[in-house]
Amino acid sequence: AAKQKEDPSLPKAYVMSVFSHFAKTKVSRDVYPVLQEILDKYFERLVDDLEAYANHAKRKTIEKQDVELLLRRQGLVPDGVPVNVLIERYLPMEYRKLLIPVATSGNKVFPKHRR
Amino acid sequence: MNDEAEQSRFMQTQRLRAAVHYTVGLLCREVGEQSDVQFSRQSIAALAETTFRQGDTFAKDLEAFARHAKRTTVNAEDVKLLARRSTALHKYITRRSEELMSSNQQQQKDKRKKSAGKGKKGSAAPAEDVVAGSEDSNMG
Repeated sequence: AAKQKEDPSLPKAYVMSVFSHFAKTKVSRDVYPVLQEILDKYFERLVDDLEAYANHAKRKTIEKQDVELLLRRQGLVPDGVPVNVLIERYLPMEYRKLLIPVATSGNKVFPKHRR
Repeated sequence: MNDEAEQSRFMQTQRLRAAVHYTVGLLCREVGEQSDVQFSRQSIAALAETTFRQGDTFAKDLEAFARHAKRTTVNAEDVKLLARRSTALHKYITRRSEELMSSNQQQQKDKRKKSAGKGKKGSAAPAEDVVAGSEDSNMG
């Protein structure tokens, strides 16, 4: 039997653990459907905005700067604070290494700083 | 020195606030006459304050949008992007911007006609949507 193609969504366990971490309390299981709906709407809007920002800069590809603009407009990054602060606060080391350029031995910078 | 600059900046802000307050008062009076309601002084003041702070947000966003498109000048595209989230407003702003564009082009055509009348005949310049106010006085 061919499996129906579902809308992709984040794993339930992950969503619930993140939510209860930030809520700082235990969360009952019947919250999940509501959360899922909210997340779906959130991502829909997010993608919509990113597309508009990329189009605004006359690009067809969404880039890091589009996401930065979105974070700023959502008020997650205050004025005069770099986005890297957010990255350092919330992302684990492996992702931080991918996003924030660090000088390594042999006069190399990883990841490559594209400007 | 620094204190003086701060003082003048504060005065500037207060003047701007007063101007916004006055305009909001006028608008409220207009709405009141249309729909037979009265606005209390406090509500007008609150609306004025809201408008003022909204202006702050708008300015920052527009600046960010212009910089995002590698421009230093805010233009109609940025304003449209700002109003994207509310459909009705977006429609309204798009319509207004089209009206402005067409009126600008009309003005330029008028200008061209005048200058063509003065200068050589039959110099049909192609219609460009350049910024209004640039006078082509290289004819004659």
